[in-house]
Amino acid sequence: MTRPAAPGSVIVPDWQESAEGKEYLACILRKNRRRVFGLLERPVLPPPVAIDTASYKIFVSGKSGVGKTALVAKLAGLEVPVVHHETTGIQTTVVFWPAKLQASDRVVMFRFEFWDCGESALKKFDHMLPACKDKTDAFLFLFSFTDRASFEDLPGQLARVAGEAPGVVRMVIGSKFDQYMHTDVPERDLTAFRQAWELPLLRVKSVPGRRLADGHTLDGRAGLADMAHVLNSLAEQLWHQDQVAAGLLPTSPEDTPS
Amino acid sequence: MGEEGAEGTVHLLCLAASSGVPLFCRSSRGGAHARQQLPFSVIGSLNGVHMFGQNLEVQLSSARTEDTIVVWKSFHDSITLIVLSSEEGTSELRLERLLQMVFGAMVLLVGLEELTNICNVERLKKELRASYRLIDSFLGDSELIGDLTQCVDCVVPPEGSLLQEALSGFAEAAGTAFVSLVVSGRVVTATESWWRLGMPEAVLLPWLVGSLPPQAARDYPVYLPHGSPTVPHRLLTLTLLPDLELCLLCGPRPPLSQLDAQLLERWWQPLLDLLRTCLPLGPRALPAGFPLHTDILGLLLLHLELKRCLFTVEPSRDKEPSPEHRRRLLRSFYTLVTATHFPPEPGQPEKVEAAAHRAQVPRACYLVSGAEEPGTGWRLVALQLGPRLLLLLLSAQSPTYGLRGLATHTLHALTPLL
Ligand SMILES: Nc1nc2c(ncn2[C@@H]2O[C@H](COP(=O)(O)OP(=O)(O)O)[C@@H](O)[C@H]2O)c(=O)[nH]1
Ligand SMILES: [Mg+2]
Repeated sequence: MTRPAAPGSVIVPDWQESAEGKEYLACILRKNRRRVFGLLERPVLPPPVAIDTASYKIFVSGKSGVGKTALVAKLAGLEVPVVHHETTGIQTTVVFWPAKLQASDRVVMFRFEFWDCGESALKKFDHMLPACKDKTDAFLFLFSFTDRASFEDLPGQLARVAGEAPGVVRMVIGSKFDQYMHTDVPERDLTAFRQAWELPLLRVKSVPGRRLADGHTLDGRAGLADMAHVLNSLAEQLWHQDQVAAGLLPTSPEDTPS
Repeated sequence: MGEEGAEGTVHLLCLAASSGVPLFCRSSRGGAHARQQLPFSVIGSLNGVHMFGQNLEVQLSSARTEDTIVVWKSFHDSITLIVLSSEEGTSELRLERLLQMVFGAMVLLVGLEELTNICNVERLKKELRASYRLIDSFLGDSELIGDLTQCVDCVVPPEGSLLQEALSGFAEAAGTAFVSLVVSGRVVTATESWWRLGMPEAVLLPWLVGSLPPQAARDYPVYLPHGSPTVPHRLLTLTLLPDLELCLLCGPRPPLSQLDAQLLERWWQPLLDLLRTCLPLGPRALPAGFPLHTDILGLLLLHLELKRCLFTVEPSRDKEPSPEHRRRLLRSFYTLVTATHFPPEPGQPEKVEAAAHRAQVPRACYLVSGAEEPGTGWRLVALQLGPRLLLLLLSAQSPTYGLRGLATHTLHALTPLL
């Protein structure tokens, strides 16, 4: 199994805050709100700039109510659901994210396709889980900081969902981090989990971000800034995985630092 | 008809028929005000009076107060729906059809089995939450009218045959016969098989797609209230452009993961420009530049045999009244025409032959709305010819003597489109 990339080793962190980064972000925004793209569309950069698009499928997994749908909505710059409704069937969401590679200084347009499926639909319909796992490039395993059972369920999930898919990126995301005061998952448990599994672990707050002057439209830039760490980590792990798969990086066991 | 505060409120109650347990309550005001919620005692009495009648084998179907109409309807002796409406221009016909749509929506999303065989009320309540969004869209001021006309809301694209060809090719490549292209809840084009879907699913499916929050793609379990109420099918949707979605209805295959970028690009990328011209068709229904008389403020064309309709209030947008008001005027005029002036043949309401028989001779009627002085009210005119029924909303300046001629002319111009 490939070891995850160290944070900041593949993608230039905080590049999106730079003047150059901000220019690239403009193509996924329109009048300060996030642009929505259909399946036939992609962001267009001003004529002289042409960049490669790297597309990935990401399956978001986790028990009902941990915040899968809210996370995906937040990543896409859409309204997050306030009351919990179990997601009906599968829904997919496309998010474009430009990022700069450390090694080559090149900017790549990442295209993430998030697959989100309600838990009861997964149980009720046999075809849903295989469709979500089919040719997926990454698994996001969600637990909620306010639901200890969802954290304890992680090893089971990792085995059940991603067991037979080695060589696919796996990341763990702790949601509802804004509720940290009421957490059921203390830091020492996270440390132990990290040591045992050696997986990238992120914390998110999928709460509505800043709004524009009209008071109701979500501010696209602010939303991106809230989620840049998640998008950059995903880009980093997925790009790294591709490099390893293409034999461009060493993977021998001796290489594994202890 | 006054513009302000004319909307009134619609309250919808759903109860388990045998126990009287409320399953949900929705209202057109979104329940934002606690005041808008009906008190439990009122719900209890409304259900009680209906049950009381039933025990005496009396079917209580509707009642009127000064400003409100109440309609009751039971489905499969298991679910009772009650609607109260104080909307201006509402009617029993409108509310009865609303209840049919609501029950259809419930079957669509949870299946008939769960609704007729209630073992666990709490679980059913939870499952029914999935239908709130769709049901609420019937109660509010929708841009669509299929809930009332029981015809599929459609739009007419430019170069329909090109789209049709691509759709058939795509359907074959995807391995399913039931495919349609939907813009903001209205059908742009569909395969033969899709058009053969029965009611109410033919109306409900595009409506559902139009009411869901945006997603790139979905694999959505649906039960077809007419065609397959107990065995779920899969509704797959693919958003080609924002608000423009391909819809596929299928069984276990193909998996959503198989409808990938290559397949979409092959069939739809070459038509990208044409697809873009479909986007503004949502509210407009007719292709850009379609000649309409300048007096026309709104239009509803129904094909009663094909069960499709075109509905728009876009013409002369700069003029009064507002789009919402125009829709309300046409909706209540449709109700009046259908319930009173051109009612279906008694005894055989659903028969196609009856509809065909119905009017080889044109039938027409008109109405002047809200006229306090001569020459000030909006004009409404209806004309039925063969299977087509046209309703027009016209400006107050339109001379009454010219209404019939204008309607006839417009109907002829629209006939090739639907
Ligand atoms: N405060 C807070 N609430 C969240 C967060 N993520 C999700 N929620 C809420 O938790 C509930 C369930 O979220 P949802 O995304 O629908 O869960 P899912 O079943 O995993 O898709 C919703 O009411 C969300 O608003 C978060 O990061 N912070
Ligand atoms: Mg969900």
